[in-house]
Amino acid sequence: MSDYIIDVKDLHKTFTLQDGRELNVLNGISTGIHKGEKIAVIGPSGSGKSTFLRCLNRMEEPTSGVITFKGEDITSPKCDINVVRRHMGMVFQHFYLFPHLTVRKNLTLAPVDLKLMTQEEADTRALELLTRVGLADKIDEWPDRLSGGQKQRVAIARAMAMNPDVLLFDEPTSALDPEMIGEVLDVMKELADDGMTMYLVTHEMGFAHQVADRVLFIDKGIISEEGTPDEVFDHPKQPRTIEFLSKVLRR
Amino acid sequence: MKCQSKHYGAGRGDILLGLFGVFLLYLLYTSGFFTAAAWQDFNRRFYQNFVKDARYMMLVDGLKSTIFMTAGATIIGVIVGLILSVIRVAYKGGVPIPVLNKFAETYITVLRGTPAMVQLLIWNFTIFASARDLNTQYIAILAFGLNSGAYVAEIFRGGIESIDAGQMEAARSLGLTYGSSMKHVILPQALRNVVPMLFNEFIALLKETSIAGYIGIDDLTRAGQNIQALTLEHSQPLVMVAIIYLVIVLLLTRFVRKLEEWLSRGRR
Repeated sequence: MSDYIIDVKDLHKTFTLQDGRELNVLNGISTGIHKGEKIAVIGPSGSGKSTFLRCLNRMEEPTSGVITFKGEDITSPKCDINVVRRHMGMVFQHFYLFPHLTVRKNLTLAPVDLKLMTQEEADTRALELLTRVGLADKIDEWPDRLSGGQKQRVAIARAMAMNPDVLLFDEPTSALDPEMIGEVLDVMKELADDGMTMYLVTHEMGFAHQVADRVLFIDKGIISEEGTPDEVFDHPKQPRTIEFLSKVLRR
Repeated sequence: MKCQSKHYGAGRGDILLGLFGVFLLYLLYTSGFFTAAAWQDFNRRFYQNFVKDARYMMLVDGLKSTIFMTAGATIIGVIVGLILSVIRVAYKGGVPIPVLNKFAETYITVLRGTPAMVQLLIWNFTIFASARDLNTQYIAILAFGLNSGAYVAEIFRGGIESIDAGQMEAARSLGLTYGSSMKHVILPQALRNVVPMLFNEFIALLKETSIAGYIGIDDLTRAGQNIQALTLEHSQPLVMVAIIYLVIVLLLTRFVRKLEEWLSRGRR
């Protein structure tokens, strides 16, 4: 029994392409995350890092392997994944705010529909969270009237509205204009400082270095190197890590 | 849609239409249409067709029947179409309902692949042949509604599939069930996208009910024919019927434009 809040054992994911060929994206990943830990997942595009993240809340169905969340095997058919997902928030690259609902409703839809809160309680919580991400004045605004950075901050608040134990960030700043990245990273930094457990798939190496407790370098569907930011970013051992970092850090 | 909200200036089409109108007026003029005798004749026939014995009431009753059938069929069509489209989309999205999906596919294929007229006759003379106490209008509503459902299903399906897959993922990632995500996130957006197409379907339906006369329903079209039978007058009753259809269609078009504006609030 490990003390990981999410424990991943020998995770494989194979996609069957339209022409029948099989694509092995994850080739046996075993890792875990402690409560309060922040793990940055880096790697070249197509390495499987997003797929890894999406397997954790079964946005993608793992082909094989076991994922345990707070002691429960969530890959078992008996597991109600909807209940698990209430405790694992996800933030997407393209925000996916619900455009037909106001910011307030975006935040309150799930807690109210799942009968976890009354509308009044959820409204109070929404205002609280929006204040935290600096968007209290946008509570009755429509998503389409917000900038990209504002949308992503609302999306983070929406994930937080479920009071999750873990937040999964899938390249949260990759779709943003450069001048808006900072405001989103600031919000994430604050969450990290408050003790949130976070998995972060990112290309923001500086931010990963600053915030992460541990860094996973995923290449060709396996964790090819892991360690503290100092170890991975400043003293990488694997040739593939050195090559990747030299490419992304050369800027 | 774009084409509906465009404000037309006097384009080439209008000039051609104007020339055509002038040509028609010229023809009418040369055939003596604008003489006093012609007008007296027109008025006499108008009186015969619509005023005498309150014959306009036949058109009013026919219109009531047409609107009743269209409204009933619309309700059935939307409900059936919604159910069928959700079945098909849910099956494609991994919900294990192969039998329901096959049923939905077959339903859509058969009802879209055969004429509404034939379906109406089958409902009336075969399936409900022994139910002679049943008001024929209800049979027509069922026939038109189920037929329309097959078309509405395809409209809804297109609307649902036009929504970014990320919307479903975002809803599911919050712990919402597939059904809740459909109801609160996907369908409201899909509905907004398909309003213009749905509306076209209902205009088509309104016009399609004009075949209800074939199973003995005195709808608007049949009322025109009934007047014809009384007065032996060919043009006026049917032209009047056509004008009534057109006016309703134009009113409905106006309404949907308002509806679209309301639906697109909050959008840039």
